[in-house]
Amino acid sequence: MKNYLKLVDFELKRFINIYFVLIGLTIISQITGVILKSRDYLERANVAIYENSLSLEQFISQNGKLSIHQLLQTGWFMIPIALSAAALIFYCFLIWYRDWFGKNTFIYRLLMLPTARLNVFLAKATAIFLMVLGLVGIQLILLPIENTIFKSIIPVDLRMDMPLNEIINGAGYGYLQILIPNSFVQFLINYGIGFMMVFILFTSILFERSFRIKGIIFGIVYYFVAVTVFLFPIMAEIYWGFGYLYPSEIFVLEIILGLLITVFSIWLSNYLINQKVTV
Amino acid sequence: MKVTFNKRDPVYVQVVRHFKEQIATGHFEPGQEIPSRRELATQLKINPNTAQRAYKEMEEAGLIYTEGNSPSKITKNEKVIDNVREELILEAVNNFVSAIRPIHVPIDEVVGLIKEKYHDDEEG
Amino acid sequence: MIEVKDLAKNFGRKKVLKGISFTAEKGEITCLMGINGAGKTTIMNAIMNLTSFKSGEILIDGEKLNKHSYEKITFIPDAITMLPQMTIGEALQFMKDFYTSWNEIRAKELLEFFRLKENEKISSLSKGNTAKVNLLLGLALDVDYLLMDEPFSGIDIFSREQIANVFTSHLVEDRGVIITTHEINDIEHLIDKAVLLDDGMVLREFSTEEVRENEGKSVVDVMREVYQR
Repeated sequence: MKNYLKLVDFELKRFINIYFVLIGLTIISQITGVILKSRDYLERANVAIYENSLSLEQFISQNGKLSIHQLLQTGWFMIPIALSAAALIFYCFLIWYRDWFGKNTFIYRLLMLPTARLNVFLAKATAIFLMVLGLVGIQLILLPIENTIFKSIIPVDLRMDMPLNEIINGAGYGYLQILIPNSFVQFLINYGIGFMMVFILFTSILFERSFRIKGIIFGIVYYFVAVTVFLFPIMAEIYWGFGYLYPSEIFVLEIILGLLITVFSIWLSNYLINQKVTV
Repeated sequence: MKVTFNKRDPVYVQVVRHFKEQIATGHFEPGQEIPSRRELATQLKINPNTAQRAYKEMEEAGLIYTEGNSPSKITKNEKVIDNVREELILEAVNNFVSAIRPIHVPIDEVVGLIKEKYHDDEEG
Repeated sequence: MIEVKDLAKNFGRKKVLKGISFTAEKGEITCLMGINGAGKTTIMNAIMNLTSFKSGEILIDGEKLNKHSYEKITFIPDAITMLPQMTIGEALQFMKDFYTSWNEIRAKELLEFFRLKENEKISSLSKGNTAKVNLLLGLALDVDYLLMDEPFSGIDIFSREQIANVFTSHLVEDRGVIITTHEINDIEHLIDKAVLLDDGMVLREFSTEEVRENEGKSVVDVMREVYQR
């Protein structure tokens, strides 16, 4: 356990520079977005009211009140989130491959630690998990701050105020809702699925690291089989409409399948990293 | 202490020989302490096991002795020391003779040459 | 004792190890020799469970390797096992954090022996100094067995001398050492046993002193015989 925690700490430290860049980028971009877009709106209101002599009501009926939702749909908001997501997905690969390639042979060190090799595997997964949660946490803190900035720029008559949970739920395309679900169960489901995917991916990577060229095929096949098995009950329902199961039964089935696939992936990874992996 | 080893004789034999030379020429005095096997290995850049083997051989031949836990010492037995000296001289002469014999030089001429050469080298 | 029995391994269809057997005693220096591609590194990786093999068995003091073995046997590959962005001090701390067999006093002694500074970044070190740090990481562990892959290759002559001095010092005292090399000159006088490999097979395994004593041959003489047959 102690070694596992030390490894998690170590893995986090290795990514911390890029991670801080991502956080910094998100904060700067989103706050800049709030300020620019709010000022832009205010500018339009000023032009309409003072130069084109529109009344406040006329302007609002033409343009609508500004809500923070409109700001959340801009590139200023979505690009840093997309970038962070892409970086973390990319890092799922990098977190393994960086130990093999380059002038060093750090993978030798990791595999020769006097601790269960599964700890190395779990520490890498945990590091990814913590970094995802960290970014989501930052976003959660950032939203009320951005809301405050928004309120301080736009006068009360021109804006539509809403509580935090509405900000999250109503954001365009529902992307924030996926990241920050409004119920704990939904949170477990979203992140559970996310983590199952990470474990499947890690298993595929270990296939490749164990059997190289043949391993690429094993890895891709494993990935698709695992995902297909997981989605099968839902797909069967949608495409063939079996109708055997109630939605609640499908839900339970999915949870069981998800857990089984996750446990199986970890078990398989444990086997590969102990018996098959090659430096 | 510096020794150049050849590659075809056992290293331990070469170490023993080196010690014999030092004893015969008086560089190692009777009763003088010698390095531990570890120190010897480091000094001569040889394997500690080889140093160990050399010491074992020398101990058995009575060239060195060990009392209790104290460091090993060069023998004080003059007879052994004389034997070592004799052995080395004899070996050198044997080598010389087997090298010179095929040339068929009369012995007197050889002796004369040896005297001359010996004298020259000492002066030069 | 490290026992390698009938070790076989394929890379795809190519047989890289074709039934390798040899032993390496504690307190002795065993040298695996052979040209590149003879399978030396693969054997070391297999001993350390860093690669899988098709058949055969490897025992360390009669036991198969497990996670606890890494406190008892260590491997120094030919490239550094730490991250380039670490300082030497950070690398040592990493070792201290994970290994109970880490010997801090010896680590400090080795730093001095190799004249290395803790605040130097690994990425800024010369080839020779990188090799020394790598060696230090293994030597400062109180392990019974040390495996070293080509510790002399590609480094300057003074570093080579310094590294060769390690073998005659107390730093390897009573340990079992397996070393691979394709250049025997640096260590001919240092090794107890040589294992000559070629094309994934052991051609000859012999004690260097015995071969000198009984056959009057140098290690290179034996190699010449074996390889130029």
